Amino acid sequence: MKAISIIIVEDEKPARDLIRAYLEGNTNINLLGEYDNGFDGLKAINELKPDAIFLDVQMPKLTGFEMLEVLEHQPEVVFTTAYDQYAIQAFEQNAVDYLLKPFSRDRFQEAIGKLESRIESRIESQKDTGNDRTGIERIRQHLAESEEKLHRVVIKKSGKIHVISTGDINYLEAQDDYVMIYTNEGRYLKQQTMKYFEKHLDSQQFVRVHRSYIANISHIERIEPYEKSNFILILKDGNKVPVSRNGMQVLKENLDF
Amino acid sequence: MYWYILSFPWPVVVSDALFSSLLFGFMGLLAWYPTRYIPFQRNSPFYSILAHVVAGLLVLFVWVLVTVGILNGIFADQEAYVKFLNKSLPWRAGLGGLVYLVLVLIYYLVSNNQKLMERTQQQERLKVLVRETELSMLKSQINPHFLFNSLNSIASLTMSNPDEAREMIIRLSDFLRYSLKHRENEYVPLKEELGRMKDYLAIEKKRFGEKIQYIFNISGECEDFPVPTMIFQPLFENAIRHGVYESVDPITIRFDCTPENEFMKTVVANDYDPAIPTRKGTGVGLQNVRQRIELAYQEKGSVQWMGTEGVFKVTILFPRIYSKR
Repeated sequence: MKAISIIIVEDEKPARDLIRAYLEGNTNINLLGEYDNGFDGLKAINELKPDAIFLDVQMPKLTGFEMLEVLEHQPEVVFTTAYDQYAIQAFEQNAVDYLLKPFSRDRFQEAIGKLESRIESRIESQKDTGNDRTGIERIRQHLAESEEKLHRVVIKKSGKIHVISTGDINYLEAQDDYVMIYTNEGRYLKQQTMKYFEKHLDSQQFVRVHRSYIANISHIERIEPYEKSNFILILKDGNKVPVSRNGMQVLKENLDF
Repeated sequence: MYWYILSFPWPVVVSDALFSSLLFGFMGLLAWYPTRYIPFQRNSPFYSILAHVVAGLLVLFVWVLVTVGILNGIFADQEAYVKFLNKSLPWRAGLGGLVYLVLVLIYYLVSNNQKLMERTQQQERLKVLVRETELSMLKSQINPHFLFNSLNSIASLTMSNPDEAREMIIRLSDFLRYSLKHRENEYVPLKEELGRMKDYLAIEKKRFGEKIQYIFNISGECEDFPVPTMIFQPLFENAIRHGVYESVDPITIRFDCTPENEFMKTVVANDYDPAIPTRKGTGVGLQNVRQRIELAYQEKGSVQWMGTEGVFKVTILFPRIYSKR
């Protein structure tokens, strides 16, 4: 069997040392590199295209999950985490395995075993159907269905990764399978649904004012009547956002007028 | 008595019974008030009994007077009845007194029972409150992330550097022991509190290496100043969470303590990268610290924080008049 190439993305040196120590003796594993933050990890994964990654969730710049969102190459994922209650569900159903720190050598070998059989069956199924779906899409799917609120949004724009604080978002606009996010710095296209943002943005701050628009209420300058029975929002940056009749109802409840 | 009543025409009998019962019922209700406002005192029952005798006599007097007055008025033409009425005064009063006594006893029983229930409910509420406070205190102390990651670092060091692993276990134990014995209104000399905070920082330094730098600058007068235990822990934890966890560059955490007028002034400051949007809400830890300071020193102490130009600073002013605690 061909050696399995892996990358470790983990921000603590002792934790990386431990994984490396456990890897010794696993001759079929080829360690391509170690990275201590989400940005460097992302870049390396897209370039080196490993079969699998050992991924920490809590990391500077980009968390493990945020990294998965914008990854092009999709390796198998073994999560290593200390304490992420809500995330454990996502791991259980979709990741190859997840290791709760601290973990024993036996437990680590078990994960390696799972990884080997996953990659083997993946090669088999590729032969059969020619289609390959890694766990990452399912992890993304699972996170989209969770109740966790967004504090920032990660977007890839012309090869660069942008991390936007949700408070900086002026408004969002539906564009087919994408959502355009408008901030003072510019606009960013994200492959995601309006429903997703409606669910995961703080509903105290973001209101679905129209089928195609979500507005940040703290960026509203004023609300003006528009045509017959419709209204339009004038944002602080001068942009205008249409409001539907339903949207007006929700705005009234939220802003209490 | 039976014979007497039977010998009268039925309207007279019915009226007598009706008026006496109705009026007594009304008077009986009035007995509720003395019971309510003369709480039975175990240590001086004399006062309560006296009050009830007076109240009871008053009620009886009014009742007998009104009943007899009314009945006399209505049936003034029936001589035999009027005679009976006047004769019946003593036993009416006696019977009324007995019923009054029974009523008072029942009222006391009911009101006692009510008080007991209220007290149990209140105790129950208090218990829940205490538990919640304790829980939130525990939560605010040790972040499980910190604990498990530290244990993981120790697991790693046992292979690569057993001496350092042992060091780290000792530091972690000292820190945990200190945080467990922590009670909301206990005070320790500042140098002791800072000693445990240094344990905490040293553990984090094992995890993050050169990414954490810390400098302590404490004026001699500060060392023995009593501070509430674990008051600085949330501040150092914040500095690490929002500074170190979110940065790839070295982060310096500074602690200063100097006397300033009538205050001991402490400042916890850390660098942070203002370009990185924060992941999770700030404020709970800081609010807790502010609340504790307000509870401990009322309006004499204060907590201020601000983040400018990549430095986040939390200033606490401890009133120096509390230098003995």
